[in-house]
Amino acid sequence: MDNDLPLEKIAISGPTLASLIQRFSSSNGDVDGLLFGHVTQPTPANLLDDDFPSSSSISSSIRSDSPTLVANITSFFCSGTLSSFYDSLGQLNISALNRCSLGNGKDDQQQRLIGWFVGRRRTPLRPSMREFSVSSSLSSKTLETLNFSQNESISISPFPNFPPCVFLLLSSPLSDQLIHTHDYRAFQFRRSSEVFEPKSIDVINIGPAFRGHYGAFSPNSQFPWLSCAMKDFSSSPSREMEIVSEDDKGKEESLLSLKKIAKEQRGLDSCAEGFEVGRLSKLVGSEAVNYTLEVEDLYGKMLAKLEGLARLVEKSSALVLEQERCNIKLRNKVSGLE
Amino acid sequence: MVTASEPMVPPLIAAQLNYLLTHSPLSIKVEQIWSGSKNPPFLSDRFTLLIPFCLDYIKWDVIYNAQNPLVAPDIVFSAADESFHPFSISAEGHSHSLKNVLCDWNCKDPSKLLLLIHELRVLYNVYQRKKIGQLDDERLKFEISTIHSREGIEVCMNSAPDKANEVKFSVPLLDIDLNKMVHGCTWKHRQQIFLQVIFPISRKYSLAPTAPRIKLVGSSELKALFPIEDVKLPPWLDGMCMAEYLPIIEDTLNTQIVEAVAAIGARRRFIEALAPLFGRPLEADPVFCRKATVFACSGVFTFLVHLSLSTQFPKQQPVLVLQSSQHFNSQGTPVMSPPLTDYPWSPRWEEPKMAERIYDFLAEECLNFKKFGSLAHV
Repeated sequence: MDNDLPLEKIAISGPTLASLIQRFSSSNGDVDGLLFGHVTQPTPANLLDDDFPSSSSISSSIRSDSPTLVANITSFFCSGTLSSFYDSLGQLNISALNRCSLGNGKDDQQQRLIGWFVGRRRTPLRPSMREFSVSSSLSSKTLETLNFSQNESISISPFPNFPPCVFLLLSSPLSDQLIHTHDYRAFQFRRSSEVFEPKSIDVINIGPAFRGHYGAFSPNSQFPWLSCAMKDFSSSPSREMEIVSEDDKGKEESLLSLKKIAKEQRGLDSCAEGFEVGRLSKLVGSEAVNYTLEVEDLYGKMLAKLEGLARLVEKSSALVLEQERCNIKLRNKVSGLE
Repeated sequence: MVTASEPMVPPLIAAQLNYLLTHSPLSIKVEQIWSGSKNPPFLSDRFTLLIPFCLDYIKWDVIYNAQNPLVAPDIVFSAADESFHPFSISAEGHSHSLKNVLCDWNCKDPSKLLLLIHELRVLYNVYQRKKIGQLDDERLKFEISTIHSREGIEVCMNSAPDKANEVKFSVPLLDIDLNKMVHGCTWKHRQQIFLQVIFPISRKYSLAPTAPRIKLVGSSELKALFPIEDVKLPPWLDGMCMAEYLPIIEDTLNTQIVEAVAAIGARRRFIEALAPLFGRPLEADPVFCRKATVFACSGVFTFLVHLSLSTQFPKQQPVLVLQSSQHFNSQGTPVMSPPLTDYPWSPRWEEPKMAERIYDFLAEECLNFKKFGSLAHV
């Protein structure tokens, strides 16, 4: 049973924490959201030799009691408001929860829902009445009931039934200070004893001092897993870089994964616009001059596309801002401020 | 009173907070009020409440959200009460009141915050009782189990870091409405006398447990009727428990309250007896009859007489202070005499006789006061 194992600590990468704090400190009011990541069991540094069989059973039993698990927070979703996936009693709204975690935790065992967070300005750094209730409801849900049941991921995941019991609380000091201070505290909600256990936070940062950390840390990016290297796992790293054009080795793969690969390949091809890797050979030799012109033309088109995209983003941002203003007005109207 | 303009409290929150402060039978106070917004207008949407509990105050932070005014507030309890989880307690007791308050939250109904705070306070008492029940102290377990039938008892653990751990009981005494006993009383809150009993927590069962520290507690307003600190407490005998002690102290207290209420009548009759001699009093305390001021003159010299009546009246004679209406000191305030108590008095006299003797005394004393006034006068 691994559904209420104690955590030793909670690890979060510097950029993830910074981005979380930024989201909170730039919002006008209080915010909440979900935390994604995975649970790992680092190899203990002090492995003992089994020279004394009589004592080894005792020492191993002691070791199993002491917490050795680490929860790694790799990404988050910030709702931008409070009570985004629960009601005033702290009971979960499952459909809202699924909506919030869309795109995260579905099919990636490295990115499962492992907890939630609240950022509330100028309040004590202690869980509130409602936060207790939300954590209690959230950590009593197993992945199945939360509709994250992807059989393959559960079989791969090291701790499939580990509940989303991590709670991160962000705040700022009660009194105004000259120095901007961001307070945060992490807890693990223990189902068996119904208590919040404060846990230390390991901020994994970039730099030589943290090289050791990164050895055990597996960073994640949102970039999709490209099927380029799917053909042969036993092959050398250099061969993995080759693009699968002749799909003769994929025969053993199921039809489903073939389709998936084909779909991703099509996506790649449409971006390449006929400039597939095979043509790279033309960069040398007699056709090089023509080819360079073609490539430059492609780059020009790409830049134009990017500019168009930037303009689209700008327009939609303006719309979002306008809507946000409208919302504030409506809210003020409801609370009788107008 | 919190006004909606200063500090900027959104009207809906202000309405709920004001309703709580004015309608609660408990005298709840706001310690601090502030805003959780980043941008102006800095709407104040969070505050610290001081809530009377067990003859002390508990501090709770009520956190609304100005951005989400429709949502019920959240509460952060004090650091010492981190294990207080109202939802679990109300679920154990199969009580749905807390759930109902929060489920039917209506931001436009000003009474909702009061309902929430009162319900939480009830659950807080349950939590404290449970905490004490879990202590390994046989005597406290016994005390808790024997006072179940009495209503309104509050308990809490006193765990100051530098002191030994104690358990405090607050027991409301006498099931009578003091406000109704005093005719025309102006008390805003229902007056209640409490017995505070503080037990030390002992880990082992001892044959001769030490007596608890006991003290009567009443509001400062109650002093007008009778001074509660003067009540002599019956002794706590060896091996006694609260269930035995409470009827004894209630008897003592009951007699004293009846006497104190009767004493109001005696004081009123005395003040009324002043009228035929001095004329109608210029000022008089009509509820407790502890003060009266009359106008007096001797020839052309006019002065005021302030009479203060203690709760021990007529055993203790009134304290007289004379105030001249013709002499002023260098600060421009009227010259006052020192308090006068040294005049003929007997508690056995009838009220008209008392008034008469004071009148006679003043007829002579006013000459001294006139001289005193002329000396002080510049």
